[in-house]
Amino acid sequence: MSVDTTPQKGIAIAAEHVSKKFGHVQALRDASIQVRYGEVVGLCGDNGAGKSTFLRILQGIYHPDSGRLYIDHHPVTLHSVRDAQRLGVDTVHQDLALAPELSVIDNMFLGHETLRSGILGRFGVLAHKEMSEKTDAALRELSIALPSLTVPVRDLSGGQRQALAVARAVMWSRSAILMDEPTAALGARQSEIVSQLIRRVAQSNLGVLVVSHDLPRLLTFADRIVVLWRGESVLDEPAANLTVPDLVATMVGYRSGEAI
Amino acid sequence: MADSGKIPTTEKTINPEIDTRAVPSRSFLLRWMSTRAAFILIVDLVLIVFFTLLSKNHVFFSVANFKSMLLNGTEIMLLALGLSMLLGAGEFDLSLGSNLVLSSVIGANLMVAVGGGQTVGNQLPHVILTIFLGLLICLLAGMLFGLVNGLLIAYGRINSLITTLGTMGIGLGLALLFSKNGQDITGFPIQLQSEFGLKTIGSFPVPALLALAIAVVLWAIVAHTKFGRHTLAIGSSRVAAERAGLRIKPHLLKLTIIAGGLAGLAAFVDLAHFQTTVISGHPNDALIAVTAVVLGGTLLEGGRISIFGTIFGVALTMILRNGLVIAGIYSSYQLVVVGVVLIIAVGLDRISVYRRSV
Ligand SMILES: Nc1ncnc2c1ncn2[C@@H]1O[C@H](COP(=O)(O)OP(=O)(O)OP(=O)(O)O)[C@@H](O)[C@H]1O
Ligand SMILES: [Mg+2]
Repeated sequence: MSVDTTPQKGIAIAAEHVSKKFGHVQALRDASIQVRYGEVVGLCGDNGAGKSTFLRILQGIYHPDSGRLYIDHHPVTLHSVRDAQRLGVDTVHQDLALAPELSVIDNMFLGHETLRSGILGRFGVLAHKEMSEKTDAALRELSIALPSLTVPVRDLSGGQRQALAVARAVMWSRSAILMDEPTAALGARQSEIVSQLIRRVAQSNLGVLVVSHDLPRLLTFADRIVVLWRGESVLDEPAANLTVPDLVATMVGYRSGEAI
Repeated sequence: MADSGKIPTTEKTINPEIDTRAVPSRSFLLRWMSTRAAFILIVDLVLIVFFTLLSKNHVFFSVANFKSMLLNGTEIMLLALGLSMLLGAGEFDLSLGSNLVLSSVIGANLMVAVGGGQTVGNQLPHVILTIFLGLLICLLAGMLFGLVNGLLIAYGRINSLITTLGTMGIGLGLALLFSKNGQDITGFPIQLQSEFGLKTIGSFPVPALLALAIAVVLWAIVAHTKFGRHTLAIGSSRVAAERAGLRIKPHLLKLTIIAGGLAGLAAFVDLAHFQTTVISGHPNDALIAVTAVVLGGTLLEGGRISIFGTIFGVALTMILRNGLVIAGIYSSYQLVVVGVVLIIAVGLDRISVYRRSV
């Protein structure tokens, strides 16, 4: 499953030697990561290791003090989330990713609405039917089942909502999807569903970067694991070569520096 | 991990065909009957019957009385429509009544200046020009008021309740300044009243028809356009809207300008209706508009707008006010009633929030 049999594919998103300081806190010192197309990379580390900061830099929310970013092979400078989105990088947040009062369809197309052709479209009139069909197709593609596409999102379960957030990101990203603890709020069964979904997303040839504390699960669905330790990337290995105790040991720093 | 083997994994959820919990959607009429708008409409009808039975010779149920209710409700309706859009985006506006008064004072001053006081009346082109300029300046003044609110709320990041509480006072103060301490301004072309303010088509006052037409346009915007979706998304979850890449500040600015423009239009209707400014006549307009909107089912926190609910909510406040007058109840009691209804409205709002969260 996670053996590195795939031929070397192109880089979807990458960061090299990134550092970031907040006041007196050196959140990142020397962090590097590479996510190729079709690959799931798991990012783990102790609390405060800098994972969220790293992800936010890749999203364009923070600007790194030093280091380089690449999206789809090209060196990039990101000034905002919109910049990253324009380059094909989308994010799945743990929460607050969806507008609860809006329907599944409206959330799927929020910020990317399809308008009617002709004069109506110029007045901003929505193409309800087309959006509904595309939503249905996109959810089917990822085998996501929802009771209805017109219910408000607040009526969905946590897992269904997270699946929808993933489907939404898949629909609008061309290079990579970043996820910060996508299963943290979910039960075992729903986490399992989302994990399977993450695999399917990678199969559709997007790069996927997942931050997670759920190491056993991460090892089942990630191709590679990168460990951050006090703002440094100290390990980058195929998941198949790793065990949970290995990871924990590296994360808390016992074997940092000596590499495996 | 241990459970992933035991649990008959995910086929059930994975196959879209197998999830049978989706209830077949009921017919449009049935669904509509269960909305708040429908409920308020029924309350309206019950109140009409009630006041008809209560009034002497059933005068409540007369063409003249309905005409007067429609006319009196027009201004509140325009304010309530703007407020519905703002509430939908999660913002409040207490200053709409004050905006109405200030805009009407500015519009009135301009019409008097251009029209030359009482002497106008004969040359038709001059009259038309005066009225048209009056309309334009009322709208512009209202929109400018809204723009100021919007800049403070969206770009100054000041809470909208506080912002509009402040601009409410400022607006009223300016209106007094521009009217020699609150002396009402008169002297517009009489055609303003005869050809618009009190004009009827059939038995329908023209200003009320105009307000209804605007309501229909806003309904279409909310239900069928990108602008409407973005408004609701911003009200539903500002963070989610931001993360979806919506430009929130300019959108809020547009909404406050729309609400302000509608208050400016209400100002023009006020001038046309009474042929004078009514500076001291609007202290409760904002309160009544909020009551009507929230009664109609638009959520206080944003994310849901019911334009039809707003229409029926305005009708309810008008029926109550008019019914109480006809029943001979003192106006001080009317204020009490409006206050009570507002609290009931917010109570209903809380109940629906509670029901959504369980
Ligand atoms: N905006 C900020 N301002 C100041 N300090 C910050 C900011 N964001 C993060 N930090 C600090 O940077 C360090 C790394 O934080 P970060 O949130 O990236 O860790 P994390 O690996 O995501 O931790 P967790 O597993 O708890 O989510 C922490 O010491 C944190 O206090
Ligand atoms: Mg974090």
